[in-house]
Amino acid sequence: MSYTLRGRIESRLAAVLIVLAGAIPLALAEHRWWPIEAVALMLGVGLVLDTQAYHRVLLYQPGWAALPLGALELGLLLLLMRAFGIMAPLEQAIALFAGAWLVAQLLGQAALPLLLLGYAEEGGELGRLGVVSATVVAVVLAGAASVAYALEPPVVHLAAGVHQGPLVITRREVLVGEPGAIVRGGIVVRANGVTIRNVSVVGGENGISIEGYRDTMLDGVSVSGAKLDGIHVRLGGVTIKNCSVDMLGNPLGQGIDISYNMDMGMSMVEGCNVVGGMNGIVTHSSMTEIARNHVSRTQTAAISMTEMSMGMIQSNEVRGALGVGINCGDRSMCEIHKNVVIDTRSDAAGGNKTRAGFGVEVLFGAEAELKGNDLSRNAAAVGAFQNSTVRWIR
Amino acid sequence: MSIAIVGSGLAGFTAYQVLRRAGLEPGEIVVFGTDDDPAAVWRKRAAAIRQREMRSESDGHCRPATFPGLAFSSVRRRRSLRPLVESACDRYHPTVEEFLAHVERRRERSGWERSVRSARIERIAAVDGGFELDGRGRFAHVLVAPGHPGLAWPEELRDDPRAVHAYEPHEYAATVTVVGAGLAAATEWLNALEAGAEVVSVRRHEPRRMPLNVPREYFSRRGLAGFHRLADGEHAAHLRELLTPSYPLGQRFDEPLERAVREGRFRVEQSVNGSAQVICATGFLRGFEHDPLLARLVAEHGLPTVDGWIVLAPDGAVASLSDDTRTLALAGAASQWAFPAADTLAGARYVAHGFLRRITSCRTR
Repeated sequence: MSYTLRGRIESRLAAVLIVLAGAIPLALAEHRWWPIEAVALMLGVGLVLDTQAYHRVLLYQPGWAALPLGALELGLLLLLMRAFGIMAPLEQAIALFAGAWLVAQLLGQAALPLLLLGYAEEGGELGRLGVVSATVVAVVLAGAASVAYALEPPVVHLAAGVHQGPLVITRREVLVGEPGAIVRGGIVVRANGVTIRNVSVVGGENGISIEGYRDTMLDGVSVSGAKLDGIHVRLGGVTIKNCSVDMLGNPLGQGIDISYNMDMGMSMVEGCNVVGGMNGIVTHSSMTEIARNHVSRTQTAAISMTEMSMGMIQSNEVRGALGVGINCGDRSMCEIHKNVVIDTRSDAAGGNKTRAGFGVEVLFGAEAELKGNDLSRNAAAVGAFQNSTVRWIR
Repeated sequence: MSIAIVGSGLAGFTAYQVLRRAGLEPGEIVVFGTDDDPAAVWRKRAAAIRQREMRSESDGHCRPATFPGLAFSSVRRRRSLRPLVESACDRYHPTVEEFLAHVERRRERSGWERSVRSARIERIAAVDGGFELDGRGRFAHVLVAPGHPGLAWPEELRDDPRAVHAYEPHEYAATVTVVGAGLAAATEWLNALEAGAEVVSVRRHEPRRMPLNVPREYFSRRGLAGFHRLADGEHAAHLRELLTPSYPLGQRFDEPLERAVREGRFRVEQSVNGSAQVICATGFLRGFEHDPLLARLVAEHGLPTVDGWIVLAPDGAVASLSDDTRTLALAGAASQWAFPAADTLAGARYVAHGFLRRITSCRTR
């Protein structure tokens, strides 16, 4: 078909209108904005390509071109979602795009030609229907943006200096620490959708505690001197990025403990520096991605994914752990890829063979998939015990 | 009854399908023509050049909308998705049999016979609120689809006993000269070679190779908008350029021709030589003056013309005879001024859509 520029845009808007009608219930069902954000981004990508590329290059667009152009748009969409920090489950995002692509094809190839007899001759222009589509799409997206803005959590700035805790957060808000802001005595999160950014926590039972709340974001926090765990998550969904947890001198506490949140979707620990503690980062019955962290000088395991957990342990650097570097235990399923584990020391003097200084250890019916790890400089590279399975992938 | 179609060929038939789809009953439309088989003329010409498949692609059909095209029918009939894949790649060409069967089905379903009146209209006279057709009634909206006015013969071959037109029934002699450079000529090269003849191609220009009669963008507003904006002189010049004869790219033509060249059975020459048979694949007469009905219409109503074309509105209507109470529109080759590929099925549909828009916006309807 030979589209006019207006025809391209109007046909795209008509398709987006239908996709929006699907994305809004999805957003409501998931209590997340990503479906609407993804559709808006999809539209933006499409309109830029329409005006800057397709209209200029494609005097005529054969039917088959929808496949490579769709792949191009999908690639750009995923890149931009990442760039804009739109947190969407990859499979669902791809499914949404695929649905939108299919809607656009069915609409352009069948429905619109049937509805508007002159659709092809008009170069895809829809006349009044095009104006209506554009208006509705604009109103819906503007409405969604307004609602999103209105629902933005308030931002609370924590001034530089020491604030006596424990600080209990009971509403959805963004707590941003000014440089030098310190909370002494810990932070307790008691609301969904809380973000804590650039705050240092000293002491407390747990440094930061989240029990039973979802959508917590910890970004750039540092924790030291906690009596129990550095960051303690139970039955909650959390994303932890760029944190620092110092557990030196606390051989029984966990640096980061994320447990019993299997029904909360994926949690994430990324870019953190954890020193000391019983385990550096540990999950129980959880789906968590643990990536690009530095963990060192732990007493039991540097990173432990256990008790029927599922997730990825990827691109982490583990140094000087006692007994075990990375542990996948108790019927968990772990993808352990591209980690560097160094100087894991044996702790088997008491006869416990599972503490022989393994770079990676798989225990008690767990399944681990290993790929591209550097485990050469440890007391032992890999250990598998008690009906566990290790699968190496090249 | 206020709507008439003058001409019962494929262009008129396609317009009829569009009007029926819009909800008009057979009793509300009168079709004047000499044959109630809309494919009668086309069928003979296709048979004459032994055409096996359509040059047009999936949407080259008589349905009112582009979707579903004939590829969909083929999927059902052939029980294969191949036609759809080919259609997506612009490589699906329905066979002549498939196309004719499609016409027959549409004819049976649409009530065509109930609308056709056997009559050759020789005069259209504009009257208040409509048009008088040869004393056969007054109609507010008239679509004239007269078909090609006749076969074009090179003047120097008009009385040559060896000459036969490609679109007339013929067999092949041992040595054949084919005059022309369009699809009919290319088809005749292959036909004659297949019949064992030695073939000479005589043509004034090297043939253009492109999939359809005109570049694809001229099938939509994308190319048409600029075309319609041209001043009359440029418009006519551009139209002449667009209508230069061409035939499709592809091995279907190239492979047998290359083989024949190697075997010394095909060559190009500048003039007709001593072949036993000369096939004139020179298409049709062009220009309204060759059609008595159109010539009279132009003369009696002072319609503007340029270089043999009647100047039309972008939708194919005769602007000076159409307003919000009546419409006179041309279809088929006569409407090339509005749509360069007007003598294709897509062109017939384009004009029919414009005609329908005029009817539905008519304040007296």
